[in-house]
Amino acid sequence: MTSTRRLAAALACALAAVLSGSGCAVIPVGGPFPVDEAGSGDSVTVPFQRMVAVEPKKEWSAQQVVEGLQAAMAAYGDDPSILPKYLTEEARRVWKPDGAVTVIDNAFRFDDIVENKEKKETIVTILGTKIAQINEDDTYVPVAPAEDGKVTRAITLVKDAAGAFRVNLLPQGLLLTDADVRRAYRPTNLYYLNGTSAGDREPDRLVADRVRLRVKPTESFAQTVVERLIEGPTSALEGAVGNEFPVKARVRSIRSSEDRVVINLAGPFTADTFLEGLKAQLRASLSYNKLASGRTLEVQIDGEPFSVTGPLVIEPSLPEKWLGSEDNQVFYTSHGAVQMMRGDGEGEPLVGPAGQPGGDHSGFAIAKDRDRVAARSAAGGIWVTRHAAEARWQESIPGTELTDPSWHRDGTLWTFDRHNGQVLRSHPAVSRGPEHVAAPALQGMDVTSLRMARDGVRVAVRIGTGQVQVGALNGGGAGAMLSNFHLLTMAERDDKILDIAWGDGDHLLVLVQTKAGQVVKEINVSDGETTQLPTTSKLLTSLAAVGEIILATTEDGKEILEFARDKQTWIPKPATAVDGPLFPLG
Amino acid sequence: MGRVRRVWRRSLQLQVVTSTLVISVIVVVVLGAFLSDQINNSVIEGRQQSAASDASADRLRIADALTREQDDQAKPADAKNVPANPLDEVMDAIIGTGGDGSKTRYEVLILNRAEPGQSRASGKVTPRDVPPALQQMLRRQAEKFIDRPQRSTQPIRFAGEAQPTQTLVIGAMVNLSDGYEVYHFFPISDEEQMLSNVRLAIVVVGFGLVLLLAAIAYLVTRQVVSPVRLARQAAERLAAGKLDERLKVRGEDDLARLATSFNEMAVNLALKIHQLEELSQVQRQFVSDVSHELRTPLTTVRMAADLLYDAREDFDPMASRSAELMQAQLERFESMLADLLEISRYDAGAADLDLDSVDVRDVVLRAIADSEALAERHSTRFELRLPNEPCLAEIDNRRVERILRNLLFNAIEHGEGRDIVVTVGADRDAVAVAVRDHGIGLKGGEENLVFDRFWRADPSRARTIGGTGLGLAISREDASLHGGWLQAWGQPGEGSQFRLTLPRRAGVDLKGSPLSLVPPEIEMRRTWRGHQMTPVLLPAVGDGGGHDVD
Repeated sequence: MTSTRRLAAALACALAAVLSGSGCAVIPVGGPFPVDEAGSGDSVTVPFQRMVAVEPKKEWSAQQVVEGLQAAMAAYGDDPSILPKYLTEEARRVWKPDGAVTVIDNAFRFDDIVENKEKKETIVTILGTKIAQINEDDTYVPVAPAEDGKVTRAITLVKDAAGAFRVNLLPQGLLLTDADVRRAYRPTNLYYLNGTSAGDREPDRLVADRVRLRVKPTESFAQTVVERLIEGPTSALEGAVGNEFPVKARVRSIRSSEDRVVINLAGPFTADTFLEGLKAQLRASLSYNKLASGRTLEVQIDGEPFSVTGPLVIEPSLPEKWLGSEDNQVFYTSHGAVQMMRGDGEGEPLVGPAGQPGGDHSGFAIAKDRDRVAARSAAGGIWVTRHAAEARWQESIPGTELTDPSWHRDGTLWTFDRHNGQVLRSHPAVSRGPEHVAAPALQGMDVTSLRMARDGVRVAVRIGTGQVQVGALNGGGAGAMLSNFHLLTMAERDDKILDIAWGDGDHLLVLVQTKAGQVVKEINVSDGETTQLPTTSKLLTSLAAVGEIILATTEDGKEILEFARDKQTWIPKPATAVDGPLFPLG
Repeated sequence: MGRVRRVWRRSLQLQVVTSTLVISVIVVVVLGAFLSDQINNSVIEGRQQSAASDASADRLRIADALTREQDDQAKPADAKNVPANPLDEVMDAIIGTGGDGSKTRYEVLILNRAEPGQSRASGKVTPRDVPPALQQMLRRQAEKFIDRPQRSTQPIRFAGEAQPTQTLVIGAMVNLSDGYEVYHFFPISDEEQMLSNVRLAIVVVGFGLVLLLAAIAYLVTRQVVSPVRLARQAAERLAAGKLDERLKVRGEDDLARLATSFNEMAVNLALKIHQLEELSQVQRQFVSDVSHELRTPLTTVRMAADLLYDAREDFDPMASRSAELMQAQLERFESMLADLLEISRYDAGAADLDLDSVDVRDVVLRAIADSEALAERHSTRFELRLPNEPCLAEIDNRRVERILRNLLFNAIEHGEGRDIVVTVGADRDAVAVAVRDHGIGLKGGEENLVFDRFWRADPSRARTIGGTGLGLAISREDASLHGGWLQAWGQPGEGSQFRLTLPRRAGVDLKGSPLSLVPPEIEMRRTWRGHQMTPVLLPAVGDGGGHDVD
């Protein structure tokens, strides 16, 4: 074989190998084969759309310029460079975007345009209804239906040298429509701890703090959430909850891969950081906002493992401890005795004096581990008995005009002394109390009901029958104080708020008697988001709830109705002659 | 460089492997470029088509929403419960905002610069990210009422990103009269990454393929070249006289047949050489035997001739002259016979040295004394150049004297009566005697021929001093027996010079000669002319133009 022929043969072989290789490169048929689990891509961002502001055109009318200004306000968070182009020099100097954001409904309109020829001004007035405002701490405060939310914003325009309208005078702050807010903001739950690791007892529950966060195009939403989480709670929970992130902590980056999200933080983390709490805060604040779901979180400090012992890894599921599945055993009172509802729906009297009928006690409350029952005596004062055969009623808080007692999860018993206008607290287990707890916001208020939430942080008070306020238990031990109160709901004119009951940590059920009938509202205490439950033809007298379960008693039949969420209707329970349903705590 | 070239020229294997490498590199490069181009086209085309169809579907939805918007505006405004802008709804539907629905892998920008509040974007795209050329093309089209979608691919650095992302942007006008521009941004960095991986794979595979082909070529050529190389080595050894060299025969292929043929050739060659050697031996033996056998009758003839010669004066002049002639020719015949016997001793390897430490000057003087009678007859004079120091050397006195005598007779015969210069030189290791005549000289190439047996420069010339034609041949054998050199130099018209160089101690190899082969005056003349001529320096090889010696 000559060298040429050998070479030709070698080339033919190479060509055949390449061609056969490329010929086989089609999708192979076969299977089934096991498939690797793959995540759905990026788990730390949310899809969102933004308003894109455009610069004003010379030919635009005054109203169009105001519409453009409106769009520029909506886009201001993303691109602050356009809005000033709508303003005159003077307006640019005077106007500030800071402060609360006013949210008006989508149905705003423009009033008749007024032209002041003397001043060469054109005034365009926006007429709308304020539906909420977003405060600087990101809380979303809806306008109560009872309030008059009419908004009138007069905007003064002048023509510039080129003959185009420019805004010369406008109210301070941003004015957004509901659509703008829905587009750019996301309702977000931030989770804090019901206490601090440095306090009397270790935190065991997460407390949700609801904010509206603006989605930033330049960073992942997870980063926005964690940054806001680090900043601390809103004014509603300030001082009342624990935040395991140090004040100067910040987020360097958040990277997402198929099965892991790496959170790179910076800041003065110390060795005594309560890691369990920090992990729970991060996990809950991301997962409950549908971020990093199903993925392991890894926390790094300045790109290094969290501690010398290794990386801080947070599993995809939140530990059971923090989930706080509360005791959902149903109790009810009947003829002055507390009954425990068995599985078949029938009642079984409690062991001990609380289960004895015929007493003159009312307003029963069951402590956390069902070990104690408190009630208001007709003779006055709050009395407590243990859940045992030999137990006796003992007076825990004396007084004449006390509200129904409410147990705190730490074993303290709370009530409001209407006579003296102060909040009282006792600790029956250690025979301490009663003691006065400061509540400056409640001074002079007609508090008719005081309920401690099951997370031990929030407190709801009914003022008269007209409004409900929610506050928080601030500080611990002797320095405890009820503060941060804000209006949650207000009855319109002749309506009456009949009862309140805590569902979970951030939902309060309110039973309202209106002229048209009764209404049960489930209100998110953080942002006032209200769900109105379907009504029943039967008149309801009292509410009790835990988690998703909502119970009410009827006035006439003295029966217990349970709200079935799936069917959106009230279903009666077998027990009869019921005064009111009860759950431990709440 | 020269070494590399030599290796290249001598190695068939290297040539084949290099050619294979070069050709396979060309093939792989062409093939790789073609494949890469094909894959690029199909991947990018597929992506562009799917992107175009996504964009087209979205534009339809947007156009639909905008039409509804206009319808809504046409209706009297309901103060309560005004729905959100249809643009918001359609954008929500396109990008899956709010829900858990799958996120789109692209971003959308709806741009209306003419109307306030009618522009939307998803993700991080801004109007600044739109390639200006694409935007201008759309606007030019819009002026002509054309709404053909356009695409553009380029790296775009979005807000908040450190690195630009390779992006396919598809732009089109929607609701041409209202001036809505819709842009879709499809990141194609995954495709780019994939193509880059494919390219890397092609390069790696191509590189591997080239190496593989080179290795294959190496192995294949080795299979062929190795036997050829063995055959060459065997042939070289055969040429060097190792007649029993044979090749191994394996298999029945062409190479095996080559080996068989080679072995047959070697066998035949060895046989022929052996036959020739035997023939040569027989001839030598024959000459030796003839010489011996001729001596006895010659002695008798000589004795008879001596009687006749002694009594010649008693003969008539004619017979007397015949007796003289017979005497002279008998002497020559004897000499010739002696030379033949001497040379056959050399041929038989029976020549021995009788070494003695002798002053070479004395040997030279004796040889000159022996030649003086002849010199006088030719009117030739000797010029002696002897060193003052004794030149002792371990030599066979008789043989060296014979060499010198031969050289002197030769010089006298061809010296044309001019002076003959005899020079003796010595150094630490060797002694040398140079005999210079100024006769007709030697032609080119005759320097070696002069030492052949019975060689004659001009065959028509008679041997005037009765040489046998074997003198210089015997002299050279004598010199060789001493481990010395006998060399000749000559030029036409310049005469000639013979140089005998002998080692001072027997058995020591000569490294040089104390005397120059070319006479000094000739050397000087060459230098003056500035013209270089290579002096003939051949070991134990002499010359002599027309020198046949006795």
